[in-house]
Amino acid sequence: MLDAFLLGADQIFSASTLLYMLIGSVAGIIAAAIPGFTVTMAIVLTLPLTFAMAPLQGIAVMLSVYVGGYSGGLISAALLGIPGTPSAVATTFDAFPMARKGEPGRALSLGVWASFFGTVISTMVLVVAAPPLAIFAVKLGPWEYFSLIVFALTIVASLVGHSLVRGLMAGAIGLAISTVGVDPIMGRPRFDFGVEMLEPGLPFLVVLIGIFAISQLASEVEDAPSVRSGKSLATQEIDFKTWEVMREVLMRPVNLVRSSIVGVLVGALPGAGGSIANLLAYDQARRASKTPEEFGKGSPEGVVASEAGNSATAGGGLIPLIALGIPGSAVDAILMASLMVHGISVGPRLIMDNADLVYGMFIAMVVASAMMLLVCVLSMRFFLRVAEIPKWLIVPTVIVCCVVGSFALNNRMSDLYLLGFIGLAGYALRALDYPLAPLVLGVILGPIAETNMRRALMTDADWTLFLTRPVSLIFLVAAIGSIGWAAHKYFRSRQNTEKSA
Amino acid sequence: MTEPTQESPSGRQEAGEIARLLSYVAIFAVSAGLGLEAAAIPTSRFEVLGAGAFPLMVYGLLCLVSLIAIVGSVRRIGVGAIARFGGEVLRWIRDRRLVIVIFACFGAYLISIPWLGFSIATFVFLLVAQLILAPRNPLSIGLAVVIALLFSFGLNWVFAEVFNVFLPRGT
Repeated sequence: MLDAFLLGADQIFSASTLLYMLIGSVAGIIAAAIPGFTVTMAIVLTLPLTFAMAPLQGIAVMLSVYVGGYSGGLISAALLGIPGTPSAVATTFDAFPMARKGEPGRALSLGVWASFFGTVISTMVLVVAAPPLAIFAVKLGPWEYFSLIVFALTIVASLVGHSLVRGLMAGAIGLAISTVGVDPIMGRPRFDFGVEMLEPGLPFLVVLIGIFAISQLASEVEDAPSVRSGKSLATQEIDFKTWEVMREVLMRPVNLVRSSIVGVLVGALPGAGGSIANLLAYDQARRASKTPEEFGKGSPEGVVASEAGNSATAGGGLIPLIALGIPGSAVDAILMASLMVHGISVGPRLIMDNADLVYGMFIAMVVASAMMLLVCVLSMRFFLRVAEIPKWLIVPTVIVCCVVGSFALNNRMSDLYLLGFIGLAGYALRALDYPLAPLVLGVILGPIAETNMRRALMTDADWTLFLTRPVSLIFLVAAIGSIGWAAHKYFRSRQNTEKSA
Repeated sequence: MTEPTQESPSGRQEAGEIARLLSYVAIFAVSAGLGLEAAAIPTSRFEVLGAGAFPLMVYGLLCLVSLIAIVGSVRRIGVGAIARFGGEVLRWIRDRRLVIVIFACFGAYLISIPWLGFSIATFVFLLVAQLILAPRNPLSIGLAVVIALLFSFGLNWVFAEVFNVFLPRGT
């Protein structure tokens, strides 16, 4: 074991591998910082460049892009209020208000440190618990998955904003959007009305960019006199104290560890991913917080939870990949393809046949997170300049980035028309005070819920299995408890508001 | 008690509530229509639930919640509010004239991409949008031209040469 570990470390700590990993980190951070570009796209573009490298060197570079990408999404989430990647949706809830209150440096530093610790914690869990966790994760059937998604949907109750009814409506609209296009089991077309662009369904990324980015950018130019006077996104002087913030993150160990564990567990489930972990970790932090009313107004706890949660999925996703050869997400599938290109068969025997490679991957994860931290800390001042750019310049430019990101996804013009329409609808919903986060949650969870519900009933038509299978029952009971708790909190805060009024 | 006027915050709140009521009604109508469409999707012989079952549940939920929202909203809206609604809408549009202009530019940009190609359409969009939003001085205009060139022709070059991703070329 020690031999394999040292062999892996020797390959990772070679000068060329470290240099390539550094370039990968920078590329991942920049790609994810641009709205519309995802970690998956960055990894896909990196894959052909790794063919000429040694297997561990290639996978280490891709892991650097992966880890860097999970952190890069934070930059536009905090500074522009636009999630750079789907896994940074919840990051916008508190990092953006914090940046708007004149603390963009603190918002970014909190996110970067939380991402770093989240990745390190997930790697530690990966090393210790990969085999048992992987076996548990793959034993979950469609009943457990459906119940898990029902539990995840109860997050809507925490994201409703000013109105419970509008929050529920937004969540249901998200679920409705996910039903457009071919059905996920039989491939039968639904709700396309003969319109070609609706046939494949509404691409999630286009919906995300339209709902969050376009509507946010439009709302930035509402105040005509301030835009025309050259006002920038942040008006106060930008303060930047990264070491102080590191202590601030470490002063919240429970939140950090809990959010990272949520990220690892969600990452270990095939089909789930950073976007769900980001929201789930945020929701859990809010429920456990002594000051839940501060969430959504620039709470540091919210920033730490959301970023630790999404970054920890990187390690979590590797658990079923390394232990069983099952990729849990698109990114993990590309990592698996990279190994297979080099003639390495991925499966339960991977750790026995290629122990040096597996230990090298563990080391690469930690090195990649350290590199992400280094790159982010060194380039933070550069990124913070974004907040000083006048609105008249940044709004049209970011709109163009959104257009390029949406087009590059499938090379379809119709996606751009959808982007325009969804952006307009997103702005209308924002103006009418509908919360947008439940809508995005509905779009993410809708297809997983439908697929697993139908798959469960195809396997066995007995509905009671959702209640009689222990893990499924636990998730359903947790969902009921979660709704009850959220409703109790919501009505109590309304009563308090009415009394004080 | 003073009557809410068009300019008062309560007048604005009333107008906002009417706008929301209209949105609830629209959502209810669309959900009911799509719910009927979902019910018409035939079930498969291979499964208990068909392709229409999940959408039917979702649209049913949406109908129910929007109906609750409609009832709540109708109870909150005052008698004279509808008469003041038109004026408030005009004021809202006037306040957000830049947003409307930007959306109009964005729409024209998206429609023109297939004909003009990404580079030219983006250059024109960026230049026009920035000039609409920017303060009127030579530095802003010069900067707008440089940024428009960089993010249109420059971005197209980067994607084609570095990533092998070809953005629309136009006809």
